[in-house]
Amino acid sequence: MSTHVTQPTPPVSGARAFWNRTDAIRTGYAFILPVLVLFVIFRIWPTINGFLLSFQDYRLTGDSTWLGLEHYRYLLQDDLFWHSLRVTMVYAAISVPLTTCLALGLAVLINQALRGIGLYRAIYFLPYVTSLVMVGVIWKWVYRNDGGLLNNVLGAVGLPSVDWLTSSTMVLPSLAIMATWKGVGYAMMILLAGLKAIPASLHEASAVDGATGAQTFWKVTLPLLKPVLFFVIVIETIGSFQVFDAIYVMTGGGPVRASYSLVYLLYDEGFKFQNFGYASAIGVVLFLIVFSVTMLQRLMFGRDD
Amino acid sequence: MQATMHETQVPATRVVPTAPRWVRTGLRHLLMGAIAVVMAMPFVAMVLLAIRPEGTTSLSGMFFSTEFTLDHFRANLQNDSMVRWILNSFIYAFVSVVLVLLLCSMAGYAFAKKRFFGRDQIFWTFIAMLVVPGQVTLVPLFILIVQLDGANTYWGLIVPTIANAQGVFLMRQYIKGIPDELIEAAKIDGASEARIFLQIILPLTVPVLATLGIFVFLWHWNDFLWPLIVAQSGDMMTLTVGLSTLQSLVPSTNSMMAAAAISFAPSLVIFIIFQRFIVQSIAVTGIKG
Repeated sequence: MSTHVTQPTPPVSGARAFWNRTDAIRTGYAFILPVLVLFVIFRIWPTINGFLLSFQDYRLTGDSTWLGLEHYRYLLQDDLFWHSLRVTMVYAAISVPLTTCLALGLAVLINQALRGIGLYRAIYFLPYVTSLVMVGVIWKWVYRNDGGLLNNVLGAVGLPSVDWLTSSTMVLPSLAIMATWKGVGYAMMILLAGLKAIPASLHEASAVDGATGAQTFWKVTLPLLKPVLFFVIVIETIGSFQVFDAIYVMTGGGPVRASYSLVYLLYDEGFKFQNFGYASAIGVVLFLIVFSVTMLQRLMFGRDD
Repeated sequence: MQATMHETQVPATRVVPTAPRWVRTGLRHLLMGAIAVVMAMPFVAMVLLAIRPEGTTSLSGMFFSTEFTLDHFRANLQNDSMVRWILNSFIYAFVSVVLVLLLCSMAGYAFAKKRFFGRDQIFWTFIAMLVVPGQVTLVPLFILIVQLDGANTYWGLIVPTIANAQGVFLMRQYIKGIPDELIEAAKIDGASEARIFLQIILPLTVPVLATLGIFVFLWHWNDFLWPLIVAQSGDMMTLTVGLSTLQSLVPSTNSMMAAAAISFAPSLVIFIIFQRFIVQSIAVTGIKG
């Protein structure tokens, strides 16, 4: 993003210029006013209030008590919080590399001249336009122990069936695989744009020097793709720290809280138990995580837009 | 003879022996086709299960049965709640699209072409707020909507979602590219501000309006967490929320698949029509759902 947006105003003197300017200012404000008002009420104020609420015991009836850091102190001792944080991190640790690697592979495949490539691209991308609820409905059946798609296929080739969603060790990998299926097309498109931005002359030069396709990929393509790759990793990491919809539909956080993510905890505390203050403190933690990941990217690769 | 002569003239830059061209092409198709089958399988399974008689869930029954029925679709669409959820989702998505397009293009125009005090500070504040995940404001936003008596109302559902910073950013970047001379010329001709915006700016931004409109529709049509907490009453649920409640009530896989297929239909239609558009705009803007 460019930082120099304002151009110097051409000097015009006299009362007319003054009125022209105030008129421009007024129309400027008039045009942004609706968005500005909505933004302040529904985005900025809730963000500030989120922090404020995390220091209070808040009731919808209006009585609230200031607790200071009490919620945060409790948070540090709350086993369920640490558990949900661990679940979320394990989920991210599986889904982010899985999605990124597959997306990179698909982007390389899609980035070639081949008849029908548009159809392949459309099919790989299609899951992206679905809702996680619908995906959850389908994949709950895909993963079903008995008569589900995957176990049927495994059975057909003589392999034992897997407790995809009902075993506490398999549930997070299963959810990550599903998320990869849904999200890989988006990451692929971002990486494809990155690949297309690499000048063809570099690949030609590398081929002339006698490099094999694999050598060119590792030594030329990948280093040049690093900023885009990192952008994808950051986007995917942020996304997986917010995982909720699919878990809500498919496992309800189970079995025995094995898929109980951070946002699930926030949802339960806030909207099941009405612990608004405590839920807000969890939100603040989520914000800090997302913020650090974003800042890490900014520090390493500068502004991404 | 000519061909061999021609071949000998080509300098041998590649030492590595390669398979004939058609073999390589064939292998590529094989690989990409296999991946496409895996990616498409959940959709295929959904449709096949939805059109088979109740109780058909085995692979052989799904793929090779000759029985075909639309009963599951019919039953779902005759369910009054389902119809209501579909209607709610359409209202949520359409009203949001219209408002986001109008408000974001207005703001984008001002941020791109007007000079006023604090313009850039306000704009960059919008952008900076993108790092705050929606879940962080979930509780305060819910409290605010409850206090304003907006729970289980359309406005309570829609209004908090339309101040879209990504939308403002997209519109501003695009409108910056429109030459100032066009606006100046219209001003000299005596056009009012409203007229300049409606008759000069808006028509020129149709491609980006379409892109933003498609994404806003998909975001809202597929949205789950916000509708889940703010529109809980049976007749205010959106389709995603309704589907998630059905999931725990309806034991029939076939019927659930039909419901899932119905919920997917609008997105699929949009995807088929605007596929190139959607795919290109991701490559260009990195717009994220």
